[in-house]
Amino acid sequence: MTVLAIARASLTRLVRDRTALFFLVVLPVLVIVLVGATVRGFSTWKVGVVDEGAGAAGQRLVAALDRSPDLAVDHYPTVRAMSTAIARGELNTGVVLPARMDEAERGGSRTSVGLVFEQANSSMQAAATAVAAVVRAEGVRVQAAQFATAQAGGTFATNLSQAARLEGRLPRAQVRTVAAQASSSILPEGFSYAAPTELVLFVFLSAVAGGAATVETRRLGIYERIVAAPVRPRDVIAGETLNYLVIALGQSLLIVAVGALAFGVSWGDPIAAALLLVCWSLVGAGAGMLAGTLFKTPEQASGIGPVVGITLGMLGGCMWPLAMVSPVMRQVGHATPQAWAVDAWTALLARGGTLATVLPDLAVLAGFAAVFLLLATHRLRHVLAG
Amino acid sequence: MRAALVIAGKDLRQRLRDRSAIVIGLVAPIAIAALMSLAFRGAETFHYTLGVVDDDHGPLATALGGVLHEPGLRQVVTTQSLPSAAAARTAVRDKTVGAALVVPTGFSAAAAAGHPAALTVVTGADNATAGSVTASIASSFVAQLNADRLSVATALAAGAPGSEAARLQSLATTLRLPLTTVDRSVGATPLKAVSYYSPGMAIFFLLFMISFTSRSYFVDRSQGMIERIRAAPVRPHEIVLGKALSVFAYGIVSLGIIALVTTAAFGADWGDPLAAGALCVALVVAVVTLATLVMAVARTQRQAEGISAVLVFGLALLGGNFVFLSAAPPIMRNLALGTPNGWALRGFTDLATLGGGLRTVAVPIAAILSFSAVAGGLSALLATKAVRS
Amino acid sequence: MGDDVLRCDRLRRTFGARVAVDDVSFRLAPGEVYGLLGPNGAGKTTTIKMVCGLLDPDGGTVTIGGRPARDDLSVRRMVGYVPQDVALYPDLTATENLAFLGRLYHLRGRELAARIDEALELTDLASRGGDRVDSFSGGMKRRLNIAAGLLHHPALLVLDEPTVGVDPQSRHAILERVDSFGRTGMSVLYTTHYMEEAERVCDRVGIIDHGRLIAEGTRRELVAELGQKDRIELAADGDLETLAAACRRTGGVERASVADGTVQLVAADGRRTLPAVIEAAEHAGVPVRSVDVTEPDLEAVFLHLTGTALRE
Repeated sequence: MTVLAIARASLTRLVRDRTALFFLVVLPVLVIVLVGATVRGFSTWKVGVVDEGAGAAGQRLVAALDRSPDLAVDHYPTVRAMSTAIARGELNTGVVLPARMDEAERGGSRTSVGLVFEQANSSMQAAATAVAAVVRAEGVRVQAAQFATAQAGGTFATNLSQAARLEGRLPRAQVRTVAAQASSSILPEGFSYAAPTELVLFVFLSAVAGGAATVETRRLGIYERIVAAPVRPRDVIAGETLNYLVIALGQSLLIVAVGALAFGVSWGDPIAAALLLVCWSLVGAGAGMLAGTLFKTPEQASGIGPVVGITLGMLGGCMWPLAMVSPVMRQVGHATPQAWAVDAWTALLARGGTLATVLPDLAVLAGFAAVFLLLATHRLRHVLAG
Repeated sequence: MRAALVIAGKDLRQRLRDRSAIVIGLVAPIAIAALMSLAFRGAETFHYTLGVVDDDHGPLATALGGVLHEPGLRQVVTTQSLPSAAAARTAVRDKTVGAALVVPTGFSAAAAAGHPAALTVVTGADNATAGSVTASIASSFVAQLNADRLSVATALAAGAPGSEAARLQSLATTLRLPLTTVDRSVGATPLKAVSYYSPGMAIFFLLFMISFTSRSYFVDRSQGMIERIRAAPVRPHEIVLGKALSVFAYGIVSLGIIALVTTAAFGADWGDPLAAGALCVALVVAVVTLATLVMAVARTQRQAEGISAVLVFGLALLGGNFVFLSAAPPIMRNLALGTPNGWALRGFTDLATLGGGLRTVAVPIAAILSFSAVAGGLSALLATKAVRS
Repeated sequence: MGDDVLRCDRLRRTFGARVAVDDVSFRLAPGEVYGLLGPNGAGKTTTIKMVCGLLDPDGGTVTIGGRPARDDLSVRRMVGYVPQDVALYPDLTATENLAFLGRLYHLRGRELAARIDEALELTDLASRGGDRVDSFSGGMKRRLNIAAGLLHHPALLVLDEPTVGVDPQSRHAILERVDSFGRTGMSVLYTTHYMEEAERVCDRVGIIDHGRLIAEGTRRELVAELGQKDRIELAADGDLETLAAACRRTGGVERASVADGTVQLVAADGRRTLPAVIEAAEHAGVPVRSVDVTEPDLEAVFLHLTGTALRE
C-alpha cells in the first residue's frame, strides 16, 4: 500500500506539470511525424531537371526518369537554382535537357544531356550513374529510330514507336537482379522507421530528464519525511520505481497507439513487442532512478538529462541506422541499451521476427535494467539512510 | 549603460558557476556534432566493393571490366574478383562486398549471336544503393548491345529489304548511342554533414538560453532581487539590457568556440568568418528577443519554463536542428524558413556551399532580424501593457 | 525644515478599488529613526516602496534631501533599501553579492572593496565573505541583507520589517545596529508591527492603519495623548470575543479587542475599572484567568486609536 501511495504522489505531481506532459506526450509525437516524413529513401536519389527547351524528346526522357524506381524527380526553372539545390544537398544530381534536343534527335544528330554533380562527391557520382543508365536506355530506342530513318526511310516518330514496340519482343541482353539476403537489418522507411526509434529515444530521455522530480523530492526533504513515517526504505524505492515504470509504459503505449492508428505502423509479433516494451520501460525506469540519485539539482537533471539521452540515442542507432556507420562505431553503439532495443525492433518490424529471435536482445536489456535499478537502489538507500 | 554592464557581468558569473551551463553551451554541442560527423562520414562518401564473377572470359566481360575502372566510377566502386556466383551470394550476405555482378558463361557469345543473355546483379537488403548503382552500371553497359540489335530490327521493320540485314548489322556495330551525358560542375561545394550539424547543434543549444534567461529573471524576481536592483539608481530598461547583454556575450562566445573547435577538429566549414559572425550576431539577437518575449508573456517561473521549453523544442524541430533539412520534403524546408534558427542554418548551408561573404547571408540575416523585430516589438508592447495595469 | 532627509507629502496609492495608502505625510530629520507602526496590510510596505521609487504614487510627493524622488535617479543613491525578505543571490558569495549591489550604486575599485569590508564587519560576517549565501544560516542572511543596504552610506536607510521571522538573538543584534545608525547621523525609516521594537529604537513613531497615518509623535507624545489611561490584558478560558464584547459594555472601558489569545482593554483608570470587568466576565461565562495592568504604551495608543489590537 505504501508503495502505491508513494508512486501515486509522484505521478500526481507529474500530471500537474504541463511542461513535463509536453515532453512526455506532445514532443515524441511531433518528432515521429517529422522524422517519419523526412526519413525516406536510404536508396532513392533525388534528381533535379531543368528543361532548356528540349521539346518532346526532353519530355520522353523525363518520363523515363520518373519511371525509374531509384529516382525521385523534381523540376527547376534554372540551372542556377538547381545547382544551389544540389549544393545544399536537396538534390543528389541534376539533369539539364538542352535546347533543340527534339530537333537534334529527329535530324539524326547526337545530343548531350547535362549531368550536374560534383565528381569528388561519391554519392553524387552514384546518383549520376543511375541517371546515366536511364539516359542510355532511352538512347537505345533513339539510336534505332535514327538508324531506321536513315537506312529505310519513314519518319523519326513512326520509327521511334516502332522501336519501342520491337524492344520488348527482341531477345536482349538484360540485367537481372537477385537478392542474396531477403531481410533487412535496417528498419523500413518512413513512420515504421520513426516510431520505434523515437520510442526507444524518448522513453529513455524522458525518464532521465524526469529524474529532476526525484532530485527535487530529495532536496525538499520529502524522503526524510516519508522515512520518518512507518515506511521501509525499500518501499520508497519500489514506489519510485513503480512511478517511473508507469510513466515509461504509458509513454510507450501512447507511441505504439499513435504509430499504429495514425501512421499505420505494424509493430510485429504482439507478444515479443509487449515484452520488448516492458524491458525497455524497465531500462527507462532504472535510468530515471539513477539520474534522480546522481544529479545534484533539478536543473542539472532537466538540462543534462536530455543531452545524455540524445547522445546515447545517437550512439545506439535511434537517429540513424547503425548499419550505416563504421564497425567500430557499431560496436561502441552496442555499449548502450538503445542499440539492443533498436536491434530488437528491427528484427520484429523488418524481418518479421518472433520472441525467439529477440530473446537475446531482451536478455541484454533486462541486464541493463537490473544494473541500473541496483545502482539506483544502492544510491537511494544511501540517501534515505541519511 | 554602466548598470547594464554590471548586471550582465553578474549574470555571466552566475551562468558560469552553474556547471550545466558549460555542458549545454559547449560540451554537448561539440560532442553531438562530433558524433554526427563520425556517423555520416560513411554516408556522404558513398563507396562500395563490387564482387565481380567472370564466368564468361569473353570480350564483353573484358569490356565491362574496363567500364568499371573508368575514372568517374573508381570513386564509387572498388572491384574484387570472386570465383563463382555462389561465392558472390555468400559475400553479399556476409557484407564483405556491397553487391556483386556475375557475367555468366557464354555471355559474349550469346550477345554476338543475338541470343538473349543476362548479367546478374546480386544485391543485399542492407546496401540497396550498391545494388542499384551496380544495376545502373550493368544496364548502361548492355544498352549499346541492345541498341545495335534494335536498330537493325527497326530498320528492317521500317521497310529495309531483308537482303540488307547483314550489311545493316555490320553498319550497326559502328553506331554509338546518340543520347549521351556530359558532366557539368555544380559550381559550389556540396554540403558536408558536419558543416550542417555543427552550426545546427550550436544553435539548438543556444536556444536553451531562452529557457535559462527567462527562468533566471523569474528566480531573481521571486528572490526580491529585481526589486532591490530597481531601488538602486538603475533604469528599468537597463535591467533588461543587462540580461540581454549577458545572453549576447554568452551566446557569441559559445557559438565562436564551437565554430573554432568543430572547424579545427572535424573539418566543419562555417564559411567566411565575417559573414558567419554576422549570422551569429543576428541569431543571438533573435534569441535575446525571444527570451524577453517569454519574460513578458509568462507570469510565473513555472510558466516561463513551460513556454520556453515548448518554444525551444518547437523551433529546433521546425528549423531543422535535428534533421538534415535538405533531405526533408519541400514543405518542411519552407516551414523552417518561418523560424530564425531555420534561416540561420540556411545561411550557414549557403556559406559552406555557395561560398561568398556577407552578400550570401544578407537575406537570412534580414529574415532573422525581422523575426527579432517582431518578437522584440511584441515583448515591448506586452511589457508596457503590464506596467500600465 | 529645509534639511529634512525625507518628506512625504499627502502620499496616496490605490490598487484597483483598494486604497492602500491614503493621504500619508511625514518627515525625517537627519539622524532620526522613524518607525512606521501598524498591523500587517496597513500600508507600510506600499509607503516604503513609494519612498524608494519602486512604486509611483497616485498622488502626493516624496522629497529626498530636498529633491523630488520621482524620475531623479541620483536621489536613489541617498537611499539604502533593505527589503523585507532576504534579497540576495544564493549562488554568489557574500562579497560577490555586495560587490554587485555596490557597483549598481556607482561604487568601484578600492572604495568598493573598503565598503564591502566595512559592511561585512558591521554585520559580523567578516570571516564569511567568500562563502556562498546559500550556505548561510537564516540570521546571517538577514544580517547580510542589511549590510547590502548600507554599502553606499545612504543618508536614509529604509528597513522593511527587518526582524520578521528572526530568532531573538539576531533580532536583538539587528535592533542594536539600528539604534547605532541613528547616532552616526544616518536617518532610518523602519517599519514594524512589533510595538516593543518601535518603542525601543524609534525616536518618533507614525501609527498607520488602513492606509492612513492616524497619529505621529515621540513615544512620550503619543502616550500623553492617552492621558491617565491604562492598558489591561486579560487571559481567559472560553470565547474571547464574547469576553471583549462584555468588557466594552462595562463602564470605564474605552476599547476592547482580542489579540494574541488575550483580551486587551484601554480603561480610564485601570485599578478602578478592574473589578467591574472581572464581574462582567463571570457574567458572560468567560472567567478571567489572569490580569495584567500596565502603564500606557504604544500598544495601548494603537488600541485606543483604532479599536483593534496591533497583533491580530
